[in-house]
Amino acid sequence: MSDRGESEIRAEGLSVTYTGGGMTTRAVKNCSFRVPKGKVVGLVGESGSGKSSALMAIPGLLPAGTLVSGSIYCGGTDLAALKEDGLADWRWRRIAIVPQGAMNSFTPHLTIERHITEVLAHHLKTHRKAGRERAAELLRAAGLDAAMLARYPHELSGGQKQRAALALALACEPGFLLADEPTTALDVITQKEVLDTIVNIVRERGMGLLLVTHDLSLAAGICDTLIVMKDGEIAESGPARQVAENPRHPYTQRLIEAIREMDVAR
Amino acid sequence: MTAPLKRIGGSLVVLAVVLALNFFLFRVMPGDPLTSIVDPRFSPEAKAELASQWGLDRPLSEQFVVYVREMLSFRFGLSMMTGAPVWDELKRRVPNTVALLLPALVLSASLGIWLGVKAALNRGSTVERVVLWSGTVSFSFPSFFVQILLLMCFAYFWRIFPLSGTTSIPPPTGGAAAIDYIWHLALPLFSLVVMGFGGFALYIRNMMVKALGEEYVLMARARGLPFRRVVWNHAFRSILPPVLTILLLSLPGVVSGAVITETVFSMNGVGRFLLEATNSHDYPAAGAAFFCLALLTVGCNLLADAAYVLVDPRVRREGSRE
Amino acid sequence: MKRWASTAAFALLAALAIAGPGPLGLSDGQVAPPYSKPGWLDSSIAPSIELRVGAGESAAAAISWGYSAPLRVSLTGALGETGLVKWVTPSGDFVLSQTPGEMDLDARDIPFKRALGISPFENMPSALFPSRGEYALSLEGSGDVVMRIEGGRWGLLGTDHRGRDMAALFVRGLRVSLIVGIAATLIATLLGLSLGLLSGYAGGFTDALVMRAVDVLLSIPTLPILMVIAGIWGKSLWNLVVILSIFSWMGTARTVRAMTLTLRDASWVEGLRAIGARRNYILFRHLVPETLPLLLANVALGVPGAILAEAGLSFLGLSDPRLPSWGRMLHDAHMFGAFASGAWWSILPAGIGISVICLMFLDIGRKLEERADPRLAAETKQKAIEEAGA
Repeated sequence: MSDRGESEIRAEGLSVTYTGGGMTTRAVKNCSFRVPKGKVVGLVGESGSGKSSALMAIPGLLPAGTLVSGSIYCGGTDLAALKEDGLADWRWRRIAIVPQGAMNSFTPHLTIERHITEVLAHHLKTHRKAGRERAAELLRAAGLDAAMLARYPHELSGGQKQRAALALALACEPGFLLADEPTTALDVITQKEVLDTIVNIVRERGMGLLLVTHDLSLAAGICDTLIVMKDGEIAESGPARQVAENPRHPYTQRLIEAIREMDVAR
Repeated sequence: MTAPLKRIGGSLVVLAVVLALNFFLFRVMPGDPLTSIVDPRFSPEAKAELASQWGLDRPLSEQFVVYVREMLSFRFGLSMMTGAPVWDELKRRVPNTVALLLPALVLSASLGIWLGVKAALNRGSTVERVVLWSGTVSFSFPSFFVQILLLMCFAYFWRIFPLSGTTSIPPPTGGAAAIDYIWHLALPLFSLVVMGFGGFALYIRNMMVKALGEEYVLMARARGLPFRRVVWNHAFRSILPPVLTILLLSLPGVVSGAVITETVFSMNGVGRFLLEATNSHDYPAAGAAFFCLALLTVGCNLLADAAYVLVDPRVRREGSRE
Repeated sequence: MKRWASTAAFALLAALAIAGPGPLGLSDGQVAPPYSKPGWLDSSIAPSIELRVGAGESAAAAISWGYSAPLRVSLTGALGETGLVKWVTPSGDFVLSQTPGEMDLDARDIPFKRALGISPFENMPSALFPSRGEYALSLEGSGDVVMRIEGGRWGLLGTDHRGRDMAALFVRGLRVSLIVGIAATLIATLLGLSLGLLSGYAGGFTDALVMRAVDVLLSIPTLPILMVIAGIWGKSLWNLVVILSIFSWMGTARTVRAMTLTLRDASWVEGLRAIGARRNYILFRHLVPETLPLLLANVALGVPGAILAEAGLSFLGLSDPRLPSWGRMLHDAHMFGAFASGAWWSILPAGIGISVICLMFLDIGRKLEERADPRLAAETKQKAIEEAGA
């Protein structure tokens, strides 16, 4: 465990500005939020609201030339001020990502086992044989058969891939998980199953989870805290129940009304 | 059919086409092969005797059988100029051609890969400009022009390399022989690499730029893996199959280049043998040299195919499952 | 400005090729000693000069000479009954000839040397050109005499191993390169277009057959086979064009097939089929026009390949020896000891010419490609690459 008093990720006045092609776009504007360990924080908004940019800013994975201002504190370190070298220490060991859709997040020519053992060998200096056993363990924890280890990414279904991505994210037992639309590409039933697995594991192990999704009703059912983003700004945040049942911001109200209408239509 | 078998089948088809083409080009084309090489003052009887010596008086089908047998058994028939078996002449030249082409291919591919990856990583840098230019140059400069320039610079104005030949005359013995051989090989090899790497580099740069933008490369970075590992084990490794494809497609051109290179540098190889045989209308010899060059291409093709199967899990799996 | 550079260069070169060397005042035959340097290169070397006297012109031709002795001097023409040719030098006069009738004298002829009182072993040009200064060729009486002084310099680009003007050869070579490059590519493109359309639209067995043929032809080394065919068929210009086009249609066929497949599955073509358009109508009224811009770019991009192939064959000596082409010029330079003479000027023009013309066509091709439908181009490229990999 890499617990060094890093009890939360705290973003303060975070702004993300994309530059390129002679245009600058401010995707995230002066946002502050916290992801404490042991909690599930939902970051909700429509596409283009800047929620993914905020997530990717935490491990410093925005495209080259992107300006990040403000601070992202974790255990006294400002991640936003770190260079690529310094961040390598944080990525995956302490902050891991369950990527969007997981469709193309695996390197096509490596087996699932290689993906996991590579990370273990690099970060924890685990030897090959031990790594293989650990990989099987991780897959089972994520709800997959250990036989999947020998598979290549293209040989897995969407749901299997998503679970494999979860197993890979858990490899170094990070304190925090960042999940970017982890279930968007899946069918409704698989979506529920995978999300339950993620949340169960996170709660069981006392990790912090930042769940980015466009689905407010989904997030409301799982998260402890909800943050609603619109046009790069935080429209509203607070305990999940309060935000969902008693929205104060007109945008959140409209979002919830839209969901209700859709439910009625169904 | 499994993928590897399919590829071997394809190579066999190429070989069959080469054999057939070779036969019909020389025999069905206008002009009797004998008229062009035999002294017109020869009597008809002497001519007929010569024709029977090369089996030209027999029906085409029979000639074809004999021809295929000669080709596949690597005897290649008798030379019309010397009357000796063509293979005796050719076998001394094949190693020279291989010694030129193989290192040229390996070196230009390595250089191309290295520069191409560097260019993709440093967009807008000098390296990228060099790669873009060298790619264009390799598509538009005739190789023999560059080679002649090199000869002029490094063998005439500044005499550090030999002007021609595969070895010095008389050839030195012992360890000096190897050095002498390499000394003669250096300039041709250098020219092939200079003209060869640009195309690879340009292609690899383009593929790499695309690969580096893939989500799995971003995720490999997210996993905190070292930069080199991300670039080589994830990004580059994933474009290896198409890189092999382009390598494979460039082989015929490389082999064609041997003819010109060996001519410019007066090297004792299969390519120049082909030119000499063509110029002296020695059809069996020319046919054999052409067959050897085609065989070289097909052989390299098969090697590249085998590598492809090893490199792409998708092809490999298909092969083992069916 | 930069956008049109290649097109302007092409227009210029095409005009030069059509005009030929004549209008530029360049002649084809031997004009100066072999491997004369370009005229502008080294002003300490004697130039090649022709002096003519008599026949209505002045009776004396004067030059001022500021170089060392020339390589050769010759005297041709005819003298009348009382004619006399005199060579006036700063250190004395020579009576070159006073024999009536035709004359053809060369400074290397021993009787000529004797007649002038020079020892047979002496180099006559240096006797005739003892120092720098004013010289004159003068004619007394009637006659028409030409004195050719052959130095080591000539014209813009010097001369080749046979003393022909490189500039004239260069212009002739340009013509051959353009004719072969464009004609071969056009024929190959037409072949590729029809086979690609056939393959892409017919599918099934035809498709398999054509694509197999493409694969096979692409994996045979082309140059050796071109050499063999050129060796058997003969080396005329049009033979070369035909041979080159037979072995370069494959890329176009593959591209056209990929384009046809992309378009065949496009929704608007499906729409056409749904409203009952017939196959030929779709093919020639829609698919062909749609693919045309990209095809044009393909032609431009294909020309360098044909030019390089022609140059390669000519370089190997497998072209019509009477037809000066750039490849042939390099062949001659390589065969006839341009190295041993250090005659780099017999190498550079042809080589640079080939390179520049190829760069030009590549540039034009890329511009045309950009102007063609970019999405179609990208999809086609992708498909063609996958095809090659599969």
